[in-house]
Amino acid sequence: MEKTRFLKKPKVESYVDYSLIFIILFLLAFGLVMLYSTSSYEANLDYGDSAYYFKHQLVPTLIGLALMIFLSYFPYGLLKKLAFPIYIGAAVLLLLLIPFGREINHAKRWIFIMGISIQPAEIAKFAVIVFTATIIVTLKRKLLDPKGYLTTLGFPALLALMVYGITKNLSSAIIIMGIAVIMLFISTPGYKKYVIAALSVIALATVIVLIVANSANSSGMNYRFKRILVWLDPAAYASEKGFQTIQALYAIGSGGIFGKGLGESMQKMGFIPEAQNDMIFSIICEELGLFGAIAVMLMFMLLIWRLMIIANNAPDMFGALLVIGVMGHIAIQVILNIAVVTNTIPNTGITLPFISYGGSAVIMQLAEIGMALNVAKNIG
Amino acid sequence: MKQRKVKNAQKFTIGMKKKLVVLFVLVLLAFVGLGVRLILITKNNGEEYQKQVLSQQQYDSTTLPFRRGEILDANNTVLAYSEKVYNVILDAKLLLRNDKYVEPTIKALVKCFGLDAGEIRSYLQDHPGSQYYILAKKLTYDQISEFQGLITIGSDTYDENIQGVWFEAGYIRKYPNNTLACDIIGFTSSDNNGMYGLEEYYNSVLSGTPGREYGYLDDDSQLERTTIPATDGDSIVTTIDGNLQNIVERHLQEFNDTYANNARQGNGANNVGCIMMDVNTGEILAMASYPFFDLNNPRDTSRLIGMPSVDEKGNKVKGESVFDSGVYITQEMIDGFSDEVLYQNYNALWKNYCISDTYEPGSVAKPFTVATALESGSITGDEVYNCKGFLEVGGWEIKCHNTYGDGAVSVERGIEISCNVAMMYVAQATGVNTFTKFQKDFGFGLKTNIDLAGEARTEGLTYSAANMTPTDLATNSFGQGFNVDMIEMITGFCSLINGGYYYEPHIVKKIVSSSGATIKNIEPRILRQTISQSTSDKIVQYCNKVVAGEEGTGKTARPAGYMIGGKTGTAQTLPRGNHQYVVSFMGYAPADDPQIAIYVVVDRPNVTYQADAKYATRIVRAILTEALPYLNFPMTEELSEKEQAELAELREQLVTTYVSENAEEQTEENAEETEEAATESSSEETVEEKDRSSIWESFSKDPATGYLVDPNTGNMVDPDSGAVLGGDDLPDFNEASNTASSEGGN
Repeated sequence: MEKTRFLKKPKVESYVDYSLIFIILFLLAFGLVMLYSTSSYEANLDYGDSAYYFKHQLVPTLIGLALMIFLSYFPYGLLKKLAFPIYIGAAVLLLLLIPFGREINHAKRWIFIMGISIQPAEIAKFAVIVFTATIIVTLKRKLLDPKGYLTTLGFPALLALMVYGITKNLSSAIIIMGIAVIMLFISTPGYKKYVIAALSVIALATVIVLIVANSANSSGMNYRFKRILVWLDPAAYASEKGFQTIQALYAIGSGGIFGKGLGESMQKMGFIPEAQNDMIFSIICEELGLFGAIAVMLMFMLLIWRLMIIANNAPDMFGALLVIGVMGHIAIQVILNIAVVTNTIPNTGITLPFISYGGSAVIMQLAEIGMALNVAKNIG
Repeated sequence: MKQRKVKNAQKFTIGMKKKLVVLFVLVLLAFVGLGVRLILITKNNGEEYQKQVLSQQQYDSTTLPFRRGEILDANNTVLAYSEKVYNVILDAKLLLRNDKYVEPTIKALVKCFGLDAGEIRSYLQDHPGSQYYILAKKLTYDQISEFQGLITIGSDTYDENIQGVWFEAGYIRKYPNNTLACDIIGFTSSDNNGMYGLEEYYNSVLSGTPGREYGYLDDDSQLERTTIPATDGDSIVTTIDGNLQNIVERHLQEFNDTYANNARQGNGANNVGCIMMDVNTGEILAMASYPFFDLNNPRDTSRLIGMPSVDEKGNKVKGESVFDSGVYITQEMIDGFSDEVLYQNYNALWKNYCISDTYEPGSVAKPFTVATALESGSITGDEVYNCKGFLEVGGWEIKCHNTYGDGAVSVERGIEISCNVAMMYVAQATGVNTFTKFQKDFGFGLKTNIDLAGEARTEGLTYSAANMTPTDLATNSFGQGFNVDMIEMITGFCSLINGGYYYEPHIVKKIVSSSGATIKNIEPRILRQTISQSTSDKIVQYCNKVVAGEEGTGKTARPAGYMIGGKTGTAQTLPRGNHQYVVSFMGYAPADDPQIAIYVVVDRPNVTYQADAKYATRIVRAILTEALPYLNFPMTEELSEKEQAELAELREQLVTTYVSENAEEQTEENAEETEEAATESSSEETVEEKDRSSIWESFSKDPATGYLVDPNTGNMVDPDSGAVLGGDDLPDFNEASNTASSEGGN
């Protein structure tokens, strides 16, 4: 170690995690190809331009890459000082949704500034990573008090509540809380309370599912509860709420082991609604088969593994926590997305990182990777 | 490394690293779990889902409608055509893609189509994923053009915020002349299937092949998309002359207007039919039967009012007494009709009386009897018979219409005055075998195979030589005891006057493809020679006498300025003695060289004394007065002053009311016309009266009706023929053997 450091000294100690960069570039390129394949048919129908979604994803991807490079040179230590402004900024953007947000499909999720649409929920995820890491580092030993737990979870919870309250986006709120819990889990010793907490959450979920499944009257139900019914038996709701789920299952099942070939999906022709968003994984399964799907999952696994390595070797606690936050974010989204597509959990709108259509998401995810690269750079 | 040197820099502890590894293992497990789930889905449901995906693709195919062919008249006037119409389809999913689309789109829909905004909104609310919902049906291009502009990129009014609405094309059938030629044309059901008339008979010609737009899977299970365009149906050009048809229908309407609700509540007659035919080709020039109906709205109950109601077999419902002609439909009855009964009566309205109803023809059959005898050599035409007012045949005293006896009657006079006794002698001379053979030759008891749907089957309605008794022969000779339909009669009659050529009647002369190319010409078709030229000449000579002769029964059929020939008919109906008659006139013009034939049948006219062929001859006269000049036949007869005035008035009427239907004015003029006709005939009578010697001619005239009254019986006697009105309390033959008859013919 000493020797290496010594040898590298003339180069001013610039460790670059090329494997992480390679994985990210691979996922981005693969994502753009799949996005084009998935969306070209509907884009042509709706906009008369088969590359509509592709173009609209390419620009944010390039912006995101620029931001990634910038943050990879930006000393992450400074983020500690910027944590509070970032948190406030994310909160303000969320609040701006109330007067300025544009309503699409009964939910206000986007603000349009000079023709660019921004999804504040994605920024909130980034903010939570930075802010939670800062709190944990600042609290130090006080973290172990009940008050410490409350503070650490309280601020992310506030953001999560705003996301849920303003954008009606339960999945983003869950992700925000998930990131915070994972960071807290790593930074505090002991498993008992987490196991208890996890079991109680599972028990609560089971009780809710049982109640919903046994209720005779489903008409007056909240749509979230209805989604539970759909999850239990998607075929029974095939004509309405279960349509997307069941069509995604058809896509996966019909793909076979090696798939129909790139661009040969039939389900993308209007059968899977919004295939380029939440359901892009089902089209990957259909076109590239089990082989392609598992290859993509392996790439994500590799990505998470690289992030773990960086966190383990991080020069300090703050850097490690930042990377853990990023890792948690990506892990949660990938797992939940694939779980939704395979109907393992009820349908919530969660996108697949780096691959699904969504400008704000890809920019913020690349920014997070940039942050991780900067931490990696400082591995000594 | 800088951080390391910072005093407070926290280290990432071993415990945390362990926990991180635990987290990683948890994530790994989740991935493995999901991977297993993927594999299970593929393994367990793979094939099933694959089939599901393939079957779904078939839903993607759509049918493209074809345009049904047009129906044109002989002058290429459109009688029926198909118009492109559009259904307005809402694609809720497409519309809800962006909230900014919803308001402008609903606003535009409400403005352009007058739809209910609330309904659209609630539909969008309930079915946000729906992609096919019909908002409005069967709109014309004019109705959608405004909206079309809003959604067409590049048009002036294009609004990009209007989304999720598109038009689905289809066709509906239109009949620009409404009731014109309704019985010939027929109509179509909503699924483009022809019902009645040409629409039904030529359904397969008029129908095209629907196109299809579909996706299919090729050998490599790749999706291909193909469009097979629809093939439009062929058009048919008919032999109908729209103007003649119009003239005919106008006069049938006039007749009805005059006699409706006259002696009884109801139409002017149970049925009035008229056929005009080209004598030398068998082409139908006009064909109509009253009551009419609107082809664009065939289910209009008001058209049923006044018709005799029918039972489930299509037979007329019998009235309380035998003297009732039927039970006539009123609004109250319609209100009480069940759907089934309503449709029975609709069917009676829609059918074409000219081809689908059979009746006993009466005296119009007499030229056939004479032609048979002449052609077979049974008579020479110079015979003279003695009519005592009746003839005893097979134990029955069969009476002549003139029960007082016509005295010496030659064959020619027999036709002229329509003497039953003379005809019975002629038929007796002919014999059963020859008589029945010629009946078949003339087409009685055979379908004519005219190209219209619904022609009656008349087999079995005539006698065969084996079962014809002398009584049957006698009654058949003057057209009672066997049944025919109108098209059979006029087709056979044409062969009598055109030199013996029996043409197959037809109504379509050409089939044209949608691009205008002629696919098929339908030429006149001679089926057989019925009689020789010389016999035909004699029949024309005799029939001319009916109109031109002093004692002729059809004088009132002669139109101003022309000489025509023909034969009247006044047929009794079953049961005998019911005072119900079918009166008719079958004629041709011009008299010396027959070109067109016309046959008018009035089934149970709405008058107190029905047995008067003048109800038919007046219609013929009115039609021919207009039709012959229209057909450019030169006038051969000098016009009396009255006739000149009549023609001048007619011309004026043509100018003023040809298009606009001023019903009041028409009936008024019609009334005048009939009055004129009546006075005309009576004035002619007074001149002729001196020469007459028959007993009935000395009877006094009843001022109310214009008929003579027999002082012995009190019966009304027709001043032209001596026929006793309503006095047919005559022997009724065995009805079961269908031989009933007695007095008949006029």
